[in-house]
Amino acid sequence: MEEIIDNFIPVAIFILFGLVIPLAIMFIVKQISPRSKTLAKFTTYESGSVPTGSANMMFNVEYYAYAILFVLFDVELLFLYPWVTVYVNEAVITSTPGFTTGFSILAMVLFMIVVLLGLIYEWKKGVLEWVR
Amino acid sequence: MNYIELASEFAPELILTIGALAIMMIGLFLANSQKKVLGYLATIFLAVASLVIVYRGIYDIQMEGILADSLTIDPMSQFFKLTFLVVSLIVVIASIKEYDGHSNQDEYYTLILLGTIGMMVVASAIDIVTMFIGFELASLSTYALAGFNKKDPNSLEAAVKYFIIGALSSALLLFGLSYIYGMSGGLTNISELAVFFNNNPAVLQSPMGIIALMLIVAGFGFKMALVPFHMWAPDTYQGAPTVISALLAAGSKKMAFVAAFRILLIAMIAIKIDIAMVFMILAIITMTLGNVVALSQRSLKRMLAYSSVAQAGYISMVFVVMSPEALTGGILYVMSHAFMKTGAFIAVAALGYMLLKENSNAKDVDHLDNFAGLGKRSPFLAFSIMIFLFALAGIPFTAGFVSKFILFLSVLEGGFYLLVIFAILNSALSLYYYARVVKYMYVLPPSSDEKLKVPGTYAVAILLAIIGVLAIGIVPEPFINWAASAANVLGL
Repeated sequence: MEEIIDNFIPVAIFILFGLVIPLAIMFIVKQISPRSKTLAKFTTYESGSVPTGSANMMFNVEYYAYAILFVLFDVELLFLYPWVTVYVNEAVITSTPGFTTGFSILAMVLFMIVVLLGLIYEWKKGVLEWVR
Repeated sequence: MNYIELASEFAPELILTIGALAIMMIGLFLANSQKKVLGYLATIFLAVASLVIVYRGIYDIQMEGILADSLTIDPMSQFFKLTFLVVSLIVVIASIKEYDGHSNQDEYYTLILLGTIGMMVVASAIDIVTMFIGFELASLSTYALAGFNKKDPNSLEAAVKYFIIGALSSALLLFGLSYIYGMSGGLTNISELAVFFNNNPAVLQSPMGIIALMLIVAGFGFKMALVPFHMWAPDTYQGAPTVISALLAAGSKKMAFVAAFRILLIAMIAIKIDIAMVFMILAIITMTLGNVVALSQRSLKRMLAYSSVAQAGYISMVFVVMSPEALTGGILYVMSHAFMKTGAFIAVAALGYMLLKENSNAKDVDHLDNFAGLGKRSPFLAFSIMIFLFALAGIPFTAGFVSKFILFLSVLEGGFYLLVIFAILNSALSLYYYARVVKYMYVLPPSSDEKLKVPGTYAVAILLAIIGVLAIGIVPEPFINWAASAANVLGL
């Protein structure tokens, strides 16, 4: 148990530094930076442009569409990459009962079909059209 | 095992996967008015998958070491798979009318099928990582389903609560499982873990082991809605679309039980007494609080939700006794409860549908007052609700009686007298609020004399549930034998 705790001493030092340094920097900045409290400082844009209209407006984010697209392509790649290194590996094939190259290719093709169906779904729902 | 054998072992899951994808794709090319056909399609896929499971044999099937020892096929997995499939089947049949003409029916049926696959994976999993994946698949599908009525604030509240609590419980569970994984030196297979902890019981009794077990019990506690982890259940079951409440109460909640049956057995071997004590307290407060709070509910959905909490308390007595008989009773209770609860929720959904059709501005359609005089307005619906409620209370000739009898008897044989006294008192208490609904339906005068006609698909769904409830109640032997062979799998 003590061995485990000893191993984590670097982590503890990291956490300590992580807590102390930001606070110290914020403190130093507050002490030495010059402050001007003119009226222009409190406008929305210090550059001088005057904002128009209200900031509280509704707009369609449709974030879920990007989430689905991201998952589609990211997971696909993430899954393909290790698969490529394994599926022709002689050692893996011989050590895993029932595992053949044909099986792994079939499994990956099925996976790609499922992902492709996801893309078709997105397409038909009109997600790929930027402006609607 | 080559991939053709593999495909034939998991034919039900594959059928549902193909079904889910097909429904998603076909739905893209249909107008909203034509999408009703997707409901029938989902029904067919679920029915075929159930038939395949029955055809493959359910008593003595045994396959091990599938996909690097991550999945198993045994009577227990088949028992639970069939339960989940039948629940989804009933829910889908009832949904055909509920969501007729809705623009998102394709997503709805796809999510139900995917959720069912997740539950089936959990039922088959003997590897903690695979089990967790199954949990997440089922949970993510049901989160979206709970908020399916997106214009209804109650449905959204239900979905958000369910999502946050579900995510929290998954995190707790995963954290506990990661400790188990670390302590055992990197084992994920449940039977290997059982052997490891049997040889090294001291590991689980160390502080880290206790923390891991507490996290796992809390994670499962949330998913099974045991008191004090139950707060989400009434709000979610009340707010979610009623047909989905049926799926949540009878399907996804029961999925936690099959996982807990398999996983907590490891802990039972090492520290039997301590964890039995924890579950004894949980079981007693769960059934008592569930029943006492249900007494004062005026909304029938909320009452059924609290009764579902109480029933989870009865089933969790299995973790205290941990004898083969208790496990038989618990497993049978899961199936009986699936039929009774699904039936009751679907019947409430049918009434809600008819009342909303009568008056589209009706509020609180599941309020008890709406059930006044239902015996005159719709004799079939009133009679079926009466059967489901009496089954939940445990009246003889229903599934509830048989499973309660076996479960309570096993607790008595195990020597837990306090527990069995609480259980029987609670059963008697629960009869009060179930009988009150029956009184409303048959004794009180109806608010209007107009007859209500139950739509055909609802009637079919309710009839399926009634057949299940009465079959287990009147001819219990095959079901008891089946549950016993499922219980044998764990080798207690």
